[in-house]
Amino acid sequence: MSEAHYHEDHGAVAGAPLVELVDVRAAYGTIEVLHGVNLSVPQGSVVALLGPNGAGKSTILKVISGLLPPTSGEVRLAGRMVNGASADELARIGLCTIPEGRGVFPNLTVRENLWMATMAGVPLAQVEEIAYARFPRLGERRKQLAGTLSGGEQQMLSMARALSVNPSVLLLDELSMGLAPLVVANLYEIVAQVSQEGVSILVSEQFARTVLGIAQYAAIVLHGNITRVGTPAELEDELSAAYLGS
Amino acid sequence: MQTFLQYTILGLALGGAYFIAASGLVVTYTTSGIFNFAQGAIAMLAVFTYWQFRWGWGWPAPLALLMVLGILAPLLGAVLYQVVMKNLRGTSEVTKIIVSIGVMLGLQALATWVWSPTSSTPRQFQKFFGPNAFAHFGSLRVPWHIIISFIIAIAIAVGIRFLFVRTRSGVAMRAVVDDPELLQLNGGRPERLAMISWAGGSFLAALAGILIQPMIGSAMSAGALTLLVIDAFAAAMFGRLRSLPRTFMGALIIALTTTYVVAYFPSKWTWSSSFRNSLPMIFLFIILLVLPQDRLRGATVLRLRERFRMPSIRTAWIAGLTMMIVVFCLKVIMAKTGVNTLTLALTFAIIALSLVLLTGFAGEINLAALSFGAIAVMVVYHFGISGTGTEARTTLWGILLAAVVTALVGALIALPALRLRGLYLALATMAFGVFISRMVLTERTEREIFGLKFTLFTSGQLAIPRPKIGPIDFNGQDAFLFLCAGLFVAIGIGMVYLRHSGYGRRLTAMKDSPAASATLGMSVVRLKLSIFMMSAAIAGIGGVMMAAQVGTVNSDRFDIFLSLALAMITVVGGIGYVSGALFAGIFLIAFIEALNLMLKKFAVDYSSLEAIFMFFISAVTVLPATIGITMGKNPSGAVSDIVEGMNKVKQSKPLMITVIGLEAAIWALTATEVITNWHFVILTFANLILVPIVGGKFLMARAMRGVPKPVPPELIGIDRPFTDEDLAAMDQALNLDGVVIPSSTTVREEPANASA
Ligand SMILES: Nc1ncnc2c1ncn2[C@@H]1O[C@H](COP(=O)(O)OP(=O)(O)OP(=O)(O)O)[C@@H](O)[C@H]1O
Ligand SMILES: [Mg+2]
Repeated sequence: MSEAHYHEDHGAVAGAPLVELVDVRAAYGTIEVLHGVNLSVPQGSVVALLGPNGAGKSTILKVISGLLPPTSGEVRLAGRMVNGASADELARIGLCTIPEGRGVFPNLTVRENLWMATMAGVPLAQVEEIAYARFPRLGERRKQLAGTLSGGEQQMLSMARALSVNPSVLLLDELSMGLAPLVVANLYEIVAQVSQEGVSILVSEQFARTVLGIAQYAAIVLHGNITRVGTPAELEDELSAAYLGS
Repeated sequence: MQTFLQYTILGLALGGAYFIAASGLVVTYTTSGIFNFAQGAIAMLAVFTYWQFRWGWGWPAPLALLMVLGILAPLLGAVLYQVVMKNLRGTSEVTKIIVSIGVMLGLQALATWVWSPTSSTPRQFQKFFGPNAFAHFGSLRVPWHIIISFIIAIAIAVGIRFLFVRTRSGVAMRAVVDDPELLQLNGGRPERLAMISWAGGSFLAALAGILIQPMIGSAMSAGALTLLVIDAFAAAMFGRLRSLPRTFMGALIIALTTTYVVAYFPSKWTWSSSFRNSLPMIFLFIILLVLPQDRLRGATVLRLRERFRMPSIRTAWIAGLTMMIVVFCLKVIMAKTGVNTLTLALTFAIIALSLVLLTGFAGEINLAALSFGAIAVMVVYHFGISGTGTEARTTLWGILLAAVVTALVGALIALPALRLRGLYLALATMAFGVFISRMVLTERTEREIFGLKFTLFTSGQLAIPRPKIGPIDFNGQDAFLFLCAGLFVAIGIGMVYLRHSGYGRRLTAMKDSPAASATLGMSVVRLKLSIFMMSAAIAGIGGVMMAAQVGTVNSDRFDIFLSLALAMITVVGGIGYVSGALFAGIFLIAFIEALNLMLKKFAVDYSSLEAIFMFFISAVTVLPATIGITMGKNPSGAVSDIVEGMNKVKQSKPLMITVIGLEAAIWALTATEVITNWHFVILTFANLILVPIVGGKFLMARAMRGVPKPVPPELIGIDRPFTDEDLAAMDQALNLDGVVIPSSTTVREEPANASA
């Protein structure tokens, strides 16, 4: 049901998929964690990966970002196979990943953190301009060490990178972790805006409610498989089953 | 005033050079998390290479400088990173330290190989702009070299700061430390940055060496130069391997203090030059003592690549007994020199046991094992000998006293260990070792304290007789051989018992997570203190045995480089095992010696190929270090590999019978003098190493047909249901044989009851 159904229904509408996983398996050492995942992120859409702890959401994102090479299957970016590419190569051609936890360098200042974002090709002045315009709070603290920022401010800093480097694909892992609901809502509002500018976004999230508000599609991950894909409305029932175990 | 100014300027310049070396350490540590013990050796190699270009071949100075500083030194750093250091991701601190020590010893052996220290003309190194180029400030004459050194140091300080704060690559180098993966996600290349920083660190080391050598003015010596730049360690620690301004300050303080000691201590104090030489190490020790405490880290569980299995007590007894029998059989066929070498090897193995106890069991590091031996030897020499002339014997009480004294010194050294771990402790013990060899072992003059007259290291030579314990006299070589073998076996078995005791388990817990141990209410202080004392006592006893085997020892026997080599080879052998210590002793003493003898014999026998064999003889000096460097690839040690091979033998009766039978035959042939000892060595080697491999392959191929590959215990139950055999296998793997646990059936019934 899942894969074919997904393509038939939405593939044509949303244009060619920018990110595509075909039968991807991945393992940590000898323990296989992903058992043949198929997934596509159509251009300019937000896809939410939902599922309980340890299901393999972060692992899927790691495989796409190039940090964990898949043991078999194909990872495609804009139709090109990128299995062997390293994370930094992918980052320089327009893939932006905000990893789990806080995606900042704690012993670097806010400004220096933004400076690191320029390795993807955008000049520092522009990165700073976009970042401080969007998050004035960061502008006030540009000399402060990122490790001393509050959790929300740190997440703003990592989002600032995502906004300013002009990516074509954005991978977000647990944006909401440890943040107040209001902050989370704010961040996702920004994510929605970014996607309207044509960026394809894949979000892993526990906080299903908020992300479903902005996602066009959602995929449910269970035990290293994608068990169901559909629009948020279609998945309403399954979601409560997956999370509440009823 | 004139003197003061003169020495202040000298001190500033020396401090500048120390800073340059220390900043190199900071740069490499910052980006790769590896403290480069080889920093001094790189400086030394650069000095020798520069000397070769400049004075050996008469190149002009700028060309020689460009070649050494611009090309060779950075290249060496980059290659070191690519080939050696890169592989150290995910290994324990001990492995990291040992590998960089391996590099240090390797470079040093290489330098002594290429630039023979016995060469007739002493190599002199001149100041830049010649020995007579002075700048005049009023009545003050300052060599240009000194001025240049200080200016370069300041330029380097400014340059590095600029790099780390104002350039993107520099900031990225700092980012690598925080999170290399995140840097990659940003589009950076952590590996390349680390390589560049190693090239830079190596450049800085070379620069420091070339600046320092003319300041000290003596003839070039590989060992002295290596240690000289190690003085910069203290400066780097003063900056806590992070802060450059503090590092600069530390370097200046150390250099100024040492030059003032030279200037103002009365020259009739015989110890002032020793004191000057050991001052940087005293500083290092004090800095480590007062360094703000590293918070106990428990949150991040490191997945290390090292694995050690604990042998059972029964295995220990069997191994001990086997070893005694093997020693006896070897003695029967060996020439007298062979017995001497074997005994010496066993004494080193005993010293190495102290390292296994400390590092393998408790995770603490001691880089100065032989210094403890030196202390014990001094105690025995002064208080533990009865009789004179050929009747002189070391008494049991002397040995026990020596053990007690070294244990107390061990407790003293453990003071920093109570707060520090890993790298800092390694440095503290190394500081102690260098202090002992520079300050204590050079003490030849008679001193008087409270009316008691004594000389610590009388005339540079201490004669230690063989021991006599109760009625048993161990003066004969054979008797002494058995004493050493017995001692090794006894201590080894004792250690296995210890490991199985509650105390041993607490040690392991402390090694894995000091924070968790502390929160469980264990007294980490008592554990650390006691383990350090025990380890020091074992090293002391081993040292006394070593001295008794040699007869008369001088300070070279306790050289810090020998301690380092011993620690390195023990880690290679497998620091978690008693057998690792045996490997260290045999390898470092007997194997190298045998290899040398064999090559020399070949060189004589086949004189047309002499040059080739002489080359190999030199190559042997680099061998231990080379093996140390390979640790990055196999962090659990060589013995574990051999043991894996032997396990195949153990599993198959026919193979075991073949190996033992063959060995007995070889031995019998040698004992009846049908074949020579050389044949014995070669055939034994082939029998023990090759037969299991070949036979194992053959047997495996047969046995494996149709049999599934064994599942590693940690995976049991993940990809198929858990069975009773699995439980038994797991128990065996975890050494839980004797432990009573609820039977598997009740374990599996519980959930059923609960849901019912
Ligand atoms: N570095 C690793 N080494 C070994 N196993 C790992 C590693 N990282 C994750 N795993 C395992 O892989 C599985 C999937 O983990 P993953 O992090 O992808 O889950 P997740 O869906 O992101 O969970 P969460 O919602 O808790 O973040 C888990 O069982 C986890 O234990
Ligand atoms: Mg996750």
